[in-house]
Amino acid sequence: MRIACPFCGPRGVDEFAYLGDATVKRPNADAPDALPAFVEYVYLRDNPAGLHRELWQHALGCQSWLVVTRNVRTHVIDQVEAARDVAAARSSEAE
Amino acid sequence: MAETLVARSALRAHVAPPAAPAGAPGFTLREVPDLTLASVAALKGREAELAEAVRAAYGLDLPQGPKRVASGPVAFVGAGPGKWLAVSSAATDFSALPAAVADQSDGRSAFRLAGPKARETLATLIQVDLHPRAFGAGDVALTHAASIAVTLWQLDDEPSYEILMFRTYAATLWRWIVEAGRSRGVEARLAG
Repeated sequence: MRIACPFCGPRGVDEFAYLGDATVKRPNADAPDALPAFVEYVYLRDNPAGLHRELWQHALGCQSWLVVTRNVRTHVIDQVEAARDVAAARSSEAE
Repeated sequence: MAETLVARSALRAHVAPPAAPAGAPGFTLREVPDLTLASVAALKGREAELAEAVRAAYGLDLPQGPKRVASGPVAFVGAGPGKWLAVSSAATDFSALPAAVADQSDGRSAFRLAGPKARETLATLIQVDLHPRAFGAGDVALTHAASIAVTLWQLDDEPSYEILMFRTYAATLWRWIVEAGRSRGVEARLAG
């Protein structure tokens, strides 16, 4: 599998570290249902057969955090975005 | 009593042996001593201010992407989005730049490989395509060589390269390069 780092270009998967599910979103700790929301956030993961959004880091390269949209059945990668762009888009949506 | 700190190479002959080819050398391997290195990370919202300060102080446009620009002893190497490695072969103080600047001089070692077989030797250790149509003078690769994290850039079309690694890996990478270069006429010598 090769991941196209937006900074470095396509590199082998050996340069990257998998850092987990990119779809989870930290819940509001002040909300009344914070406890079940945090159980969900910390422990419960979907296991889709198909497209999945994942966090990867180009650890043996430019150190960028990436959000990789990948088909886990075929390893075909649809999209690679810088995680900070995804986070910025998400926080501007929330506003 | 305060002890004076003295910069010393990470290489010694018993861990980084020299090599001499039987015939004409295919490439030379040398340590690049006494480099000043600093990581420079732009502060949020102040990228333009940093670019302007670098232009004013060194006459260089900060590269976008994995590229190296140089002027006199000073060079800036793209090291990630919004991050650069400032390199100088003179005693340059980068701390006045309006950015997060951290000195790396004593943490890294650098080698220079030069000669017609340098590319082929590096290609045995590095997975990035080093063919001239893909990687030329001024290009930078942040990758690993034999699982050692390195920053590599090409200086000219001889070709010559400089490769930067954490200081504790210097002797190991030296031996990798000497071993890979043995059939390619490596001429490796420590300074002094």
